[in-house]
Amino acid sequence: MSLKIKSLLSSLGYSVSFFKAMPSMRRFNQNVWRRELNDLIRGISGGFLFGVPLLYTMEVWWIGSSLEPPRLLIAIAITSTIIFLINQTTGFRSASNIRIRDTLMDTVEALALGLFCTTCILVLFQEINLETPLGEALGKLIYESVPFAIGVALSNQLLRDEPDEKPHQPNARANQSHPKKELNGTIADIGATLIGGIIVAFSVAPTDEVPMLAASTSGPWLLALIAVSLLISYAIVFAANFSNQTKRQRQQGIFQHPVSETIASYLVSLVAAALMLWFFDKLSASDPWSTWLRYAIILGLPTTVGGAAGRLAV
Amino acid sequence: MNTKSDSIQGQEQSRRSLAEWVTFSIAAAILSTVIGLVLYIWLGKQSQPPILSVTYEKTIRKSEGQFYVPFVLLNKGGETVESVRVVAKLKMSNGIEELGEQEIDFLSSGEVQNGAFVFSKDPKKGQINIRVTSYKLP
Repeated sequence: MSLKIKSLLSSLGYSVSFFKAMPSMRRFNQNVWRRELNDLIRGISGGFLFGVPLLYTMEVWWIGSSLEPPRLLIAIAITSTIIFLINQTTGFRSASNIRIRDTLMDTVEALALGLFCTTCILVLFQEINLETPLGEALGKLIYESVPFAIGVALSNQLLRDEPDEKPHQPNARANQSHPKKELNGTIADIGATLIGGIIVAFSVAPTDEVPMLAASTSGPWLLALIAVSLLISYAIVFAANFSNQTKRQRQQGIFQHPVSETIASYLVSLVAAALMLWFFDKLSASDPWSTWLRYAIILGLPTTVGGAAGRLAV
Repeated sequence: MNTKSDSIQGQEQSRRSLAEWVTFSIAAAILSTVIGLVLYIWLGKQSQPPILSVTYEKTIRKSEGQFYVPFVLLNKGGETVESVRVVAKLKMSNGIEELGEQEIDFLSSGEVQNGAFVFSKDPKKGQINIRVTSYKLP
Protein backbone atom coordinates (compact mmCIF):
# COMPACT_ATOMS: atom_id res chain seq x y z
CA MET A 1 0.00 0.00 0.00
CA SER A 2 1.46 3.30 -1.02
CA LEU A 3 2.22 6.00 1.50
CA LYS A 4 -0.42 8.30 -0.03
CA ILE A 5 -3.21 5.78 0.46
CA LYS A 6 -1.91 4.99 3.94
CA SER A 7 -1.97 8.63 4.97
CA LEU A 8 -5.41 9.13 3.40
CA LEU A 9 -6.80 6.15 5.31
CA SER A 10 -5.23 7.22 8.56
CA SER A 11 -6.73 10.69 8.06
CA LEU A 12 -10.13 8.99 7.69
CA GLY A 13 -9.54 7.11 10.94
CA TYR A 14 -8.75 3.64 9.51
CA SER A 15 -5.62 1.67 10.22
CA VAL A 16 -3.92 -0.91 8.00
CA SER A 17 -4.55 -3.58 10.63
CA PHE A 18 -8.28 -2.96 10.15
CA PHE A 19 -8.05 -4.12 6.52
CA LYS A 20 -5.86 -7.04 7.49
CA ALA A 21 -8.58 -8.02 9.93
CA MET A 22 -11.29 -7.88 7.26
CA PRO A 23 -11.06 -11.53 6.06
CA SER A 24 -11.35 -12.74 9.64
CA MET A 25 -14.31 -10.38 10.18
CA ARG A 26 -16.01 -11.77 7.07
CA ARG A 27 -15.36 -15.28 8.35
CA PHE A 28 -16.77 -14.21 11.71
CA ASN A 29 -19.88 -12.75 10.02
CA GLN A 30 -20.33 -15.97 8.05
CA ASN A 31 -20.02 -17.91 11.32
CA VAL A 32 -22.67 -15.69 12.93
CA TRP A 33 -25.19 -16.48 10.15
CA ARG A 34 -24.23 -20.16 10.15
CA ARG A 35 -24.62 -20.34 13.93
CA GLU A 36 -28.00 -18.63 13.67
CA LEU A 37 -29.12 -21.12 10.99
CA ASN A 38 -27.89 -24.02 13.15
CA ASP A 39 -29.82 -22.65 16.14
CA LEU A 40 -33.01 -22.35 14.09
CA ILE A 41 -32.66 -25.84 12.59
CA ARG A 42 -32.00 -27.23 16.08
CA GLY A 43 -35.16 -25.49 17.32
CA ILE A 44 -37.25 -26.81 14.42
CA SER A 45 -35.87 -30.35 14.95
CA GLY A 46 -36.76 -30.22 18.65
CA GLY A 47 -40.21 -28.95 17.73
CA PHE A 48 -40.82 -31.88 15.41
CA LEU A 49 -39.53 -34.41 17.97
CA PHE A 50 -41.89 -33.10 20.64
CA GLY A 51 -44.85 -31.92 18.57
CA VAL A 52 -45.23 -34.39 15.70
CA PRO A 53 -47.64 -36.84 17.46
CA LEU A 54 -50.11 -34.03 18.21
CA LEU A 55 -49.97 -32.88 14.59
CA TYR A 56 -51.70 -36.21 13.85
CA THR A 57 -54.49 -35.68 16.37
CA MET A 58 -57.71 -34.48 14.78
CA GLU A 59 -59.24 -33.60 18.15
CA VAL A 60 -56.59 -30.90 18.51
CA TRP A 61 -57.58 -29.47 15.09
CA TRP A 62 -61.23 -29.45 16.15
CA ILE A 63 -60.66 -28.03 19.64
CA GLY A 64 -58.63 -25.18 18.17
CA SER A 65 -61.26 -24.47 15.54
CA SER A 66 -64.21 -24.38 17.91
CA LEU A 67 -62.67 -22.13 20.58
CA GLU A 68 -63.43 -18.47 20.93
CA PRO A 69 -60.70 -15.86 20.15
CA PRO A 70 -60.10 -14.98 23.85
CA ARG A 71 -59.24 -18.64 24.54
CA LEU A 72 -56.78 -18.60 21.64
CA LEU A 73 -55.07 -15.52 23.12
CA ILE A 74 -54.97 -17.23 26.54
CA ALA A 75 -53.38 -20.30 24.86
CA ILE A 76 -50.67 -18.07 23.36
CA ALA A 77 -50.10 -16.35 26.74
CA ILE A 78 -49.82 -19.65 28.67
CA THR A 79 -47.49 -21.16 26.04
CA SER A 80 -45.32 -18.03 26.12
CA THR A 81 -44.99 -18.30 29.90
CA ILE A 82 -44.02 -21.98 29.74
CA ILE A 83 -41.48 -21.31 26.97
CA PHE A 84 -40.06 -18.32 28.84
CA LEU A 85 -39.48 -20.51 31.91
CA ILE A 86 -37.87 -23.25 29.81
CA ASN A 87 -35.70 -20.70 27.99
CA GLN A 88 -34.29 -19.50 31.30
CA THR A 89 -32.69 -22.90 31.82
CA THR A 90 -32.18 -24.33 28.34
CA GLY A 91 -33.72 -23.12 25.02
CA PHE A 92 -32.79 -23.83 21.41
CA ARG A 93 -29.72 -21.62 21.12
CA SER A 94 -26.16 -22.88 21.51
CA ALA A 95 -25.32 -19.90 23.72
CA SER A 96 -27.15 -19.75 27.01
CA ASN A 97 -29.21 -16.66 27.86
CA ILE A 98 -28.25 -14.51 30.77
CA ARG A 99 -30.41 -11.45 30.29
CA ILE A 100 -34.20 -11.42 30.62
CA ARG A 101 -34.44 -9.48 27.34
CA ASP A 102 -32.68 -12.29 25.43
CA THR A 103 -34.92 -14.89 27.04
CA LEU A 104 -38.01 -12.90 26.02
CA MET A 105 -36.72 -12.58 22.45
CA ASP A 106 -36.00 -16.31 22.28
CA THR A 107 -39.55 -16.94 23.53
CA VAL A 108 -41.00 -14.89 20.66
CA GLU A 109 -38.78 -16.81 18.22
CA ALA A 110 -39.80 -20.22 19.61
CA LEU A 111 -43.48 -19.31 19.29
CA ALA A 112 -43.00 -18.03 15.74
CA LEU A 113 -41.05 -21.16 14.75
CA GLY A 114 -43.88 -23.26 16.15
CA LEU A 115 -46.52 -21.27 14.27
CA PHE A 116 -44.56 -21.32 11.02
CA CYS A 117 -43.73 -25.05 11.00
CA THR A 118 -47.22 -26.05 12.16
CA THR A 119 -48.74 -24.00 9.35
CA CYS A 120 -46.47 -25.72 6.82
CA ILE A 121 -47.45 -29.21 8.03
CA LEU A 122 -51.17 -28.41 8.27
CA VAL A 123 -51.07 -27.04 4.71
CA LEU A 124 -49.25 -30.21 3.66
CA PHE A 125 -51.99 -32.30 5.31
CA GLN A 126 -54.54 -30.02 3.59
CA GLU A 127 -56.10 -29.26 6.94
CA ILE A 128 -55.56 -25.60 6.11
CA ASN A 129 -56.24 -24.47 2.57
CA LEU A 130 -57.54 -21.39 0.79
CA GLU A 131 -61.14 -22.39 1.56
CA THR A 132 -60.57 -22.79 5.32
CA PRO A 133 -62.27 -19.99 7.28
CA LEU A 134 -59.77 -17.70 8.99
CA GLY A 135 -61.01 -18.46 12.51
CA GLU A 136 -60.73 -22.21 11.98
CA ALA A 137 -57.25 -21.93 10.45
CA LEU A 138 -56.00 -19.75 13.32
CA GLY A 139 -57.47 -22.08 15.96
CA LYS A 140 -55.87 -25.12 14.35
CA LEU A 141 -52.43 -23.63 13.99
CA ILE A 142 -52.35 -21.95 17.41
CA TYR A 143 -53.36 -25.14 19.24
CA GLU A 144 -51.04 -27.33 17.17
CA SER A 145 -48.17 -24.91 17.63
CA VAL A 146 -48.30 -25.19 21.46
CA PRO A 147 -46.46 -28.55 21.74
CA PHE A 148 -44.30 -27.64 18.76
CA ALA A 149 -43.12 -24.37 20.33
CA ILE A 150 -42.46 -26.13 23.66
CA GLY A 151 -40.40 -28.69 21.68
CA VAL A 152 -38.41 -25.82 20.13
CA ALA A 153 -37.60 -24.50 23.60
CA LEU A 154 -36.69 -27.99 24.83
CA SER A 155 -34.53 -28.87 21.81
CA ASN A 156 -31.25 -28.59 23.72
CA GLN A 157 -32.62 -30.94 26.38
CA LEU A 158 -34.09 -33.50 23.98
CA LEU A 159 -30.84 -34.78 22.55
CA ARG A 160 -27.94 -34.06 24.80
CA ASP A 161 -24.80 -36.14 24.91
CA GLU A 162 -22.56 -36.82 27.89
CA PRO A 163 -20.20 -33.83 28.09
CA ASP A 164 -17.16 -35.89 28.99
CA GLU A 165 -16.91 -37.58 25.63
CA LYS A 166 -13.30 -38.25 24.72
CA PRO A 167 -11.95 -36.31 21.74
CA HIS A 168 -11.62 -38.32 18.59
CA GLN A 169 -8.12 -39.65 17.98
CA PRO A 170 -7.31 -39.84 14.31
CA ASN A 171 -6.10 -43.36 13.93
CA ALA A 172 -5.28 -45.08 10.67
CA ARG A 173 -6.52 -48.43 11.96
CA ALA A 174 -9.71 -46.98 13.32
CA ASN A 175 -10.43 -45.21 10.05
CA GLN A 176 -9.72 -48.30 8.00
CA SER A 177 -12.99 -49.66 6.68
CA HIS A 178 -13.60 -53.10 8.04
CA PRO A 179 -16.48 -55.11 6.53
CA LYS A 180 -17.54 -56.61 9.89
CA LYS A 181 -17.41 -53.24 11.64
CA GLU A 182 -19.41 -51.63 8.78
CA LEU A 183 -22.01 -54.38 9.00
CA ASN A 184 -22.31 -53.96 12.76
CA GLY A 185 -22.58 -50.19 12.34
CA THR A 186 -25.31 -50.60 9.72
CA ILE A 187 -27.25 -53.05 11.91
CA ALA A 188 -26.95 -50.61 14.83
CA ASP A 189 -28.25 -47.79 12.59
CA ILE A 190 -31.22 -49.82 11.36
CA GLY A 191 -31.99 -50.90 14.93
CA ALA A 192 -31.79 -47.33 16.22
CA THR A 193 -33.98 -46.05 13.37
CA LEU A 194 -36.58 -48.75 14.09
CA ILE A 195 -36.59 -48.19 17.87
CA GLY A 196 -36.71 -44.39 17.61
CA GLY A 197 -39.38 -44.54 14.92
CA ILE A 198 -41.53 -46.97 16.91
CA ILE A 199 -41.27 -44.88 20.10
CA VAL A 200 -42.53 -41.74 18.33
CA ALA A 201 -45.00 -43.23 15.81
CA PHE A 202 -46.48 -46.14 17.81
CA SER A 203 -49.05 -43.88 19.45
CA VAL A 204 -50.07 -42.44 16.06
CA ALA A 205 -50.35 -45.75 14.15
CA PRO A 206 -53.66 -47.05 15.65
CA THR A 207 -55.51 -43.73 15.27
CA ASP A 208 -58.01 -42.86 12.54
CA GLU A 209 -55.95 -39.88 11.43
CA VAL A 210 -53.70 -41.95 9.17
CA PRO A 211 -56.55 -43.34 6.97
CA MET A 212 -58.28 -39.97 7.13
CA LEU A 213 -55.22 -38.03 5.97
CA ALA A 214 -54.41 -40.72 3.39
CA ALA A 215 -57.92 -40.42 1.92
CA SER A 216 -57.55 -36.71 1.32
CA THR A 217 -53.92 -36.72 0.17
CA SER A 218 -53.21 -37.00 -3.54
CA GLY A 219 -49.99 -37.74 -5.46
CA PRO A 220 -48.24 -34.35 -5.43
CA TRP A 221 -48.96 -33.88 -1.73
CA LEU A 222 -47.53 -37.33 -0.98
CA LEU A 223 -44.38 -36.41 -2.91
CA ALA A 224 -44.15 -33.19 -0.90
CA LEU A 225 -44.56 -35.19 2.32
CA ILE A 226 -41.70 -37.51 1.27
CA ALA A 227 -39.50 -34.47 0.58
CA VAL A 228 -40.37 -32.87 3.94
CA SER A 229 -39.74 -36.15 5.81
CA LEU A 230 -36.30 -36.49 4.20
CA LEU A 231 -35.48 -32.84 4.91
CA ILE A 232 -36.46 -33.06 8.58
CA SER A 233 -34.55 -36.33 9.03
CA TYR A 234 -31.43 -34.78 7.47
CA ALA A 235 -31.83 -31.63 9.57
CA ILE A 236 -32.13 -33.52 12.86
CA VAL A 237 -29.12 -35.77 12.26
CA PHE A 238 -26.74 -33.66 10.24
CA ALA A 239 -27.71 -29.98 10.38
CA ALA A 240 -29.23 -29.26 13.79
CA ASN A 241 -25.83 -29.44 15.47
CA PHE A 242 -27.11 -31.57 18.33
CA SER A 243 -24.39 -32.67 20.71
CA ASN A 244 -24.25 -36.18 19.27
CA GLN A 245 -23.83 -35.00 15.68
CA THR A 246 -20.03 -35.27 15.65
CA LYS A 247 -20.27 -38.78 17.04
CA ARG A 248 -22.88 -39.58 14.40
CA GLN A 249 -20.54 -38.49 11.62
CA ARG A 250 -17.91 -40.95 12.93
CA GLN A 251 -20.37 -43.84 12.94
CA GLN A 252 -19.32 -46.60 10.57
CA GLY A 253 -21.65 -48.45 8.25
CA ILE A 254 -22.63 -49.13 4.68
CA PHE A 255 -24.66 -45.93 4.28
CA GLN A 256 -22.15 -43.57 5.85
CA HIS A 257 -22.85 -40.50 3.82
CA PRO A 258 -25.41 -37.95 5.02
CA VAL A 259 -27.59 -38.21 1.90
CA SER A 260 -27.45 -42.00 1.50
CA GLU A 261 -28.00 -42.49 5.24
CA THR A 262 -31.02 -40.16 5.20
CA ILE A 263 -32.58 -42.01 2.24
CA ALA A 264 -31.79 -45.49 3.62
CA SER A 265 -33.18 -44.67 7.05
CA TYR A 266 -36.31 -43.18 5.44
CA LEU A 267 -36.90 -46.46 3.62
CA VAL A 268 -36.43 -48.33 6.92
CA SER A 269 -38.94 -45.92 8.52
CA LEU A 270 -41.47 -46.56 5.75
CA VAL A 271 -41.20 -50.32 6.34
CA ALA A 272 -41.55 -49.77 10.11
CA ALA A 273 -44.59 -47.52 9.53
CA ALA A 274 -46.25 -50.14 7.30
CA LEU A 275 -45.58 -52.89 9.88
CA MET A 276 -47.04 -50.77 12.71
CA LEU A 277 -50.17 -50.10 10.63
CA TRP A 278 -50.48 -53.83 9.87
CA PHE A 279 -49.98 -54.61 13.59
CA PHE A 280 -52.88 -52.32 14.50
CA ASP A 281 -55.03 -53.76 11.70
CA LYS A 282 -55.12 -50.51 9.77
CA LEU A 283 -53.68 -52.38 6.79
CA SER A 284 -54.26 -55.95 5.70
CA ALA A 285 -52.85 -58.22 3.01
CA SER A 286 -56.01 -57.73 0.92
CA ASP A 287 -55.47 -53.97 0.66
CA PRO A 288 -54.00 -52.73 -2.64
CA TRP A 289 -50.33 -51.77 -2.70
CA SER A 290 -51.25 -48.13 -3.31
CA THR A 291 -53.08 -48.04 0.06
CA TRP A 292 -50.02 -49.54 1.80
CA LEU A 293 -47.78 -46.95 0.17
CA ARG A 294 -50.11 -44.03 0.91
CA TYR A 295 -50.57 -45.01 4.58
CA ALA A 296 -46.85 -45.71 5.05
CA ILE A 297 -45.89 -42.29 3.65
CA ILE A 298 -48.39 -40.56 5.97
CA LEU A 299 -47.09 -42.39 9.06
CA GLY A 300 -43.56 -42.18 7.64
CA LEU A 301 -43.15 -38.58 8.86
CA PRO A 302 -43.34 -39.27 12.63
CA THR A 303 -41.47 -42.57 12.14
CA THR A 304 -38.64 -40.78 10.33
CA VAL A 305 -38.46 -38.05 12.99
CA GLY A 306 -38.22 -40.72 15.71
CA GLY A 307 -35.74 -42.74 13.66
CA ALA A 308 -33.47 -39.73 13.23
CA ALA A 309 -33.51 -39.10 16.99
CA GLY A 310 -32.80 -42.80 17.54
CA ARG A 311 -29.71 -42.70 15.32
CA LEU A 312 -28.38 -39.68 17.20
CA ALA A 313 -28.74 -41.66 20.42
CA VAL A 314 -26.62 -44.61 19.12
CA MET B 1 -5.34 -8.05 14.39
CA ASN B 2 -6.37 -10.95 16.58
CA THR B 3 -6.98 -8.62 19.47
CA LYS B 4 -9.30 -6.55 17.30
CA SER B 5 -11.36 -9.52 16.03
CA ASP B 6 -11.40 -11.00 19.57
CA SER B 7 -12.76 -7.75 20.93
CA ILE B 8 -15.42 -7.70 18.18
CA GLN B 9 -16.28 -11.29 19.08
CA GLY B 10 -16.52 -10.34 22.73
CA GLN B 11 -18.84 -7.45 21.92
CA GLU B 12 -20.97 -9.72 19.71
CA GLN B 13 -21.31 -12.29 22.47
CA SER B 14 -22.57 -9.66 24.86
CA ARG B 15 -25.12 -8.25 22.39
CA ARG B 16 -27.28 -9.78 19.71
CA SER B 17 -25.77 -10.28 16.26
CA LEU B 18 -27.39 -8.96 13.07
CA ALA B 19 -28.48 -12.51 12.21
CA GLU B 20 -30.25 -12.84 15.55
CA TRP B 21 -31.96 -9.46 15.08
CA VAL B 22 -33.16 -10.49 11.61
CA THR B 23 -34.59 -13.73 13.05
CA PHE B 24 -36.24 -11.86 15.90
CA SER B 25 -37.79 -9.29 13.53
CA ILE B 26 -39.31 -12.01 11.33
CA ALA B 27 -40.48 -13.94 14.42
CA ALA B 28 -42.05 -10.83 15.97
CA ALA B 29 -43.80 -10.06 12.65
CA ILE B 30 -45.24 -13.63 12.48
CA LEU B 31 -46.42 -13.57 16.10
CA SER B 32 -47.94 -10.09 15.90
CA THR B 33 -49.73 -11.01 12.64
CA VAL B 34 -51.29 -14.08 14.29
CA ILE B 35 -52.30 -12.13 17.42
CA GLY B 36 -53.62 -9.30 15.21
CA LEU B 37 -55.74 -11.74 13.19
CA VAL B 38 -57.17 -13.30 16.37
CA LEU B 39 -58.10 -9.81 17.63
CA TYR B 40 -59.62 -8.98 14.24
CA ILE B 41 -61.84 -12.09 14.41
CA TRP B 42 -62.72 -11.36 18.03
CA LEU B 43 -63.81 -7.78 17.33
CA GLY B 44 -65.59 -8.59 14.08
CA LYS B 45 -67.21 -11.79 15.31
CA GLN B 46 -70.90 -12.23 14.62
CA SER B 47 -72.79 -13.29 17.71
CA GLN B 48 -75.03 -15.49 15.59
CA PRO B 49 -75.98 -19.08 16.37
CA PRO B 50 -75.18 -21.74 13.74
CA ILE B 51 -77.11 -21.31 10.48
CA LEU B 52 -76.85 -24.43 8.35
CA SER B 53 -77.82 -24.55 4.72
CA VAL B 54 -77.65 -27.51 2.39
CA THR B 55 -78.06 -27.38 -1.38
CA TYR B 56 -77.76 -30.08 -3.99
CA GLU B 57 -76.35 -29.76 -7.44
CA LYS B 58 -78.42 -30.50 -10.53
CA THR B 59 -75.53 -32.30 -12.23
CA ILE B 60 -76.37 -35.86 -11.24
CA ARG B 61 -73.80 -38.49 -12.16
CA LYS B 62 -74.81 -42.00 -13.17
CA SER B 63 -72.38 -44.86 -12.70
CA GLU B 64 -72.98 -48.65 -12.67
CA GLY B 65 -76.72 -48.25 -12.26
CA GLN B 66 -76.48 -45.78 -9.36
CA PHE B 67 -77.20 -42.07 -9.27
CA TYR B 68 -74.87 -39.71 -7.38
CA VAL B 69 -76.36 -36.44 -6.17
CA PRO B 70 -73.66 -34.03 -4.90
CA PHE B 71 -74.57 -31.69 -2.06
CA VAL B 72 -72.93 -28.67 -0.40
CA LEU B 73 -73.35 -27.97 3.31
CA LEU B 74 -72.51 -24.49 4.63
CA ASN B 75 -72.44 -23.02 8.13
CA LYS B 76 -73.40 -19.37 7.67
CA GLY B 77 -73.67 -18.72 11.41
CA GLY B 78 -71.04 -17.64 13.90
CA GLU B 79 -70.67 -20.82 15.98
CA THR B 80 -69.01 -24.14 15.27
CA VAL B 81 -71.16 -27.27 15.25
CA GLU B 82 -70.51 -30.99 15.53
CA SER B 83 -72.27 -34.14 14.30
CA VAL B 84 -74.38 -32.41 11.66
CA ARG B 85 -76.95 -34.83 10.23
CA VAL B 86 -78.12 -34.35 6.66
CA VAL B 87 -81.02 -36.45 5.33
CA ALA B 88 -82.07 -36.78 1.70
CA LYS B 89 -85.38 -38.24 0.61
CA LEU B 90 -86.13 -39.20 -2.98
CA LYS B 91 -89.83 -39.60 -3.73
CA MET B 92 -90.66 -41.19 -7.07
CA SER B 93 -93.88 -40.47 -8.93
CA ASN B 94 -95.06 -44.06 -8.32
CA GLY B 95 -94.80 -43.52 -4.55
CA ILE B 96 -91.51 -45.41 -3.98
CA GLU B 97 -89.19 -43.60 -1.54
CA GLU B 98 -85.45 -43.83 -1.00
CA LEU B 99 -83.60 -42.36 1.95
CA GLY B 100 -79.99 -41.25 2.31
CA GLU B 101 -78.18 -40.08 5.47
CA GLN B 102 -74.93 -38.28 6.15
CA GLU B 103 -73.20 -37.19 9.33
CA ILE B 104 -70.58 -34.44 9.14
CA ASP B 105 -68.26 -34.57 12.17
CA PHE B 106 -67.36 -30.92 12.35
CA LEU B 107 -68.37 -27.65 10.70
CA SER B 108 -66.92 -24.36 11.83
CA SER B 109 -68.29 -20.90 11.07
CA GLY B 110 -68.13 -20.24 7.33
CA GLU B 111 -66.97 -23.77 6.54
CA VAL B 112 -68.23 -25.69 3.52
CA GLN B 113 -68.41 -29.49 3.28
CA ASN B 114 -69.11 -31.42 0.12
CA GLY B 115 -70.53 -34.92 -0.28
CA ALA B 116 -72.96 -36.98 -2.31
CA PHE B 117 -76.07 -39.10 -1.80
CA VAL B 118 -76.36 -42.31 -3.76
CA PHE B 119 -79.75 -43.50 -5.05
CA SER B 120 -80.71 -46.52 -7.09
CA LYS B 121 -83.59 -44.71 -8.84
CA ASP B 122 -83.15 -41.77 -11.22
CA PRO B 123 -83.70 -38.59 -9.16
CA LYS B 124 -84.74 -36.74 -12.32
CA LYS B 125 -87.91 -38.86 -12.43
CA GLY B 126 -88.84 -37.99 -8.86
CA GLN B 127 -88.51 -35.28 -6.26
CA ILE B 128 -85.51 -34.83 -3.95
CA ASN B 129 -85.73 -33.23 -0.55
CA ILE B 130 -82.44 -32.64 1.27
CA ARG B 131 -82.33 -31.03 4.71
CA VAL B 132 -80.28 -30.74 7.89
CA THR B 133 -82.01 -32.61 10.71
CA SER B 134 -79.75 -32.02 13.72
CA TYR B 135 -76.39 -30.92 15.11
CA LYS B 136 -74.72 -30.57 18.49
CA LEU B 137 -72.58 -27.81 19.95
CA PRO B 138 -69.00 -28.68 20.88
